[in-house]
Amino acid sequence: MPLEYAITYKAENTYENWVSDAHWQFLIVPEENSSQELISTDFTNSLNAINEPSINGYGFQTIRVHPKKSFKNITFEATSKVIKKEVNPFDFSLSDHHHSIYRHIESLEFKVDYESFLRKTYFTTIPENDSGLFRFNRFLSIFENLRALNQWTYDHIFFKTEVTDVNTTLYEIIKNRHGVCQDFTHLFCALARQNNIPARYVSGYLHQGNGYFGDSQMHAWAEVFIPEIGWMGFDPTNNLIANENHIKVAHGKDYFDCAPLKGVVFTTGSNETRHSVIVAGQQQQ
Amino acid sequence: MGSIKNQMFSSYQKSEGLYDEIHDSNGEIKAIYKKLFDIYGEHSIKDYVKLNDKAKSSFFNQGITFQVYDKKKTQEKIFPFDLFPRIIGPKEWEIIEKGAIQRSKALNLFLWDIYHDKRIIKQGIVPMELISSSVNYLDQMNGIDPPGGIYNHISGTDIIKHNDGNYYVLEDNIRCPSGVSYVICNRTALKRALFGVFNHYKTCSVTNYAENLLDLLETVKPNGVDVPNVVVITPGMYNSAFYEHSYLAKTMGVELVEGRDLFVENDFVYMKTIRGPERVDVIYRRIDDAFIDPLEFRPDSSLGVPGLFAAYKKGNVTLANAPGTGVADDKAVYTYMPEIIKYYLKEEPILNNVRTFHCSRPDELKYVLEHISELVIKPVDEAGGYGISIGNRLSKKELDQVREQVKASPRKYVAQPIMSLSVHPTYIDSSRSFEQRHVDLRTFTVLGKEKEFVLKGGLTRVALQKGNLIVNSSQGGGSKDTWVLQK
Repeated sequence: MPLEYAITYKAENTYENWVSDAHWQFLIVPEENSSQELISTDFTNSLNAINEPSINGYGFQTIRVHPKKSFKNITFEATSKVIKKEVNPFDFSLSDHHHSIYRHIESLEFKVDYESFLRKTYFTTIPENDSGLFRFNRFLSIFENLRALNQWTYDHIFFKTEVTDVNTTLYEIIKNRHGVCQDFTHLFCALARQNNIPARYVSGYLHQGNGYFGDSQMHAWAEVFIPEIGWMGFDPTNNLIANENHIKVAHGKDYFDCAPLKGVVFTTGSNETRHSVIVAGQQQQ
Repeated sequence: MGSIKNQMFSSYQKSEGLYDEIHDSNGEIKAIYKKLFDIYGEHSIKDYVKLNDKAKSSFFNQGITFQVYDKKKTQEKIFPFDLFPRIIGPKEWEIIEKGAIQRSKALNLFLWDIYHDKRIIKQGIVPMELISSSVNYLDQMNGIDPPGGIYNHISGTDIIKHNDGNYYVLEDNIRCPSGVSYVICNRTALKRALFGVFNHYKTCSVTNYAENLLDLLETVKPNGVDVPNVVVITPGMYNSAFYEHSYLAKTMGVELVEGRDLFVENDFVYMKTIRGPERVDVIYRRIDDAFIDPLEFRPDSSLGVPGLFAAYKKGNVTLANAPGTGVADDKAVYTYMPEIIKYYLKEEPILNNVRTFHCSRPDELKYVLEHISELVIKPVDEAGGYGISIGNRLSKKELDQVREQVKASPRKYVAQPIMSLSVHPTYIDSSRSFEQRHVDLRTFTVLGKEKEFVLKGGLTRVALQKGNLIVNSSQGGGSKDTWVLQK
């Protein structure tokens, strides 16, 4: 049964001094794909500046805002309506030829095709001493390994807010064993890539249970490419396979490609930013 | 005026083993230089010095300067200039010109391929690391078709003549190659100082560069634009090549802008003018990729234009050179140039490549470490001659340091045999006479849609310190006017 979601994203930026010029780019509108349909998007800002829809370098929809007057405070609010199809993540059959699949992902053709999602980035570089980290078992299928990796990441890292930030590297995450969804996802992607499985960082929203009006920040999970299946979402923060509660906005190599808000602001003094996200779900009649 | 009375080169010392541009193997002045030699011989060294000083002060008065970056401070210098020109005959020039076009076209096809099908990598002709470990490869350019199909609109090819008498390419500069303004200023200075010499030679003009550049940039305008509005964007007056940016804008008759003069609205680029916003269609950018758009690339860039890449991706503006072109301006790609030319053009390379060792390959790394004193070690991603070590000029301790550096990050370095750059008589202040100095040549090639142009001339750079092989202006090099003779 399809599910309809109303997602509200709010951001408020407050500055100590007047801002003479500012440019923002929001990457918060859910994408359209085979499991989700975007019904509408409504974007407003408190200065009534023009909202310019555009497409970023990776092909995802953005909204740019460039106020034409000075200000000290600005709020943004975006409401998107999405219909999500209920999908069975286990709707596939795997052949028993693990061996030939592992050979396939070692081929040059495959490596070149998925090169950008196999590459190490600043956020997905595993420290040199990787003892104690998850290892693939070549006797099992890629899917089984990834499920085990999902479980392992979930068990290994403890969810804790405000101990990591957008610049935290895997070195610290592995050492301290705590973090938020972004950190879980970077670790999951890094270990998948280490085993030649293309993995991409996904930014989006999570509906925290049916009929539940929860509010949270934006969420992150991973998508990995499994031959014979295609791209499949894993949410290591919750030890889930991505389902109808995961509403995708964008993907990239890591957080930097998917940052929900990028800005260039000309001002002095301190500033404060607040975000909130509300994902409200209801079953369609 | 016979050569007996000619005192010009009375104390000129010719070193064995160096290729002298103006003397043949018997020590005689080459035919092409004969007339020039005779004319200059009518003057005393004193006259020559006077004229040379005059030319230099004219550079200074015009503000034709550049900045040298140092750890401690930035200095403004004039580009040392020498009145004795270098002459290239029509036959030799034909080779250079054809070779430069061939390389530029091959690089353009290579760039198209690595941002689309990646056939050359899949077929194993070049390694995947050329893109996967290059900081200049832009994922955002994947699948984008630049207007007119051109990535490297402007290429600066650095060419030397080795002591075997053949030309070799040292590197292909396709990010924002500088130097073309000096080519034109050198010509102007020489014309002012010694106009008469031009009456005896049919020298090709270099002052037509700007009109040809503008002409070719107009061929790669976005779809649907009739007469494109072209601008030059500069990082600003503190950039080392600011003089050149302003010169190019002035001679093309277009606006010179900084990032803050432009803005993007609904994916179109506009320039702020006193008459209101004016649409911009083609941007000759002299800002590196990472800085062109803080919303897409480096967020701390204050040089770029927020939203510029989105406008580019939509096909509403042309950027020259295209973003992501820098991936082919890598010393590791250079080493595959012969293969790249053969693969795309089915031709043999016209200009030679210097044999290059990749420190990323274990067997070649071993060779490099063992023969480090006979090699030039270059970082793959630095421009301007920074970070180059010449093996036979270093002490044992310095060599050990270089070895350690290379071992620590082999992908960062390539090594080449020490090439002997040809030498050209150059007036040296301290000895008040002409001496042999090493020279190279930077040529400028412009690619447009089904059209190309090579500036008939180029920047002959001179290493002013005796025996020095690094000719970059930032490393204390000077320059000469370069004459290409008509057929």
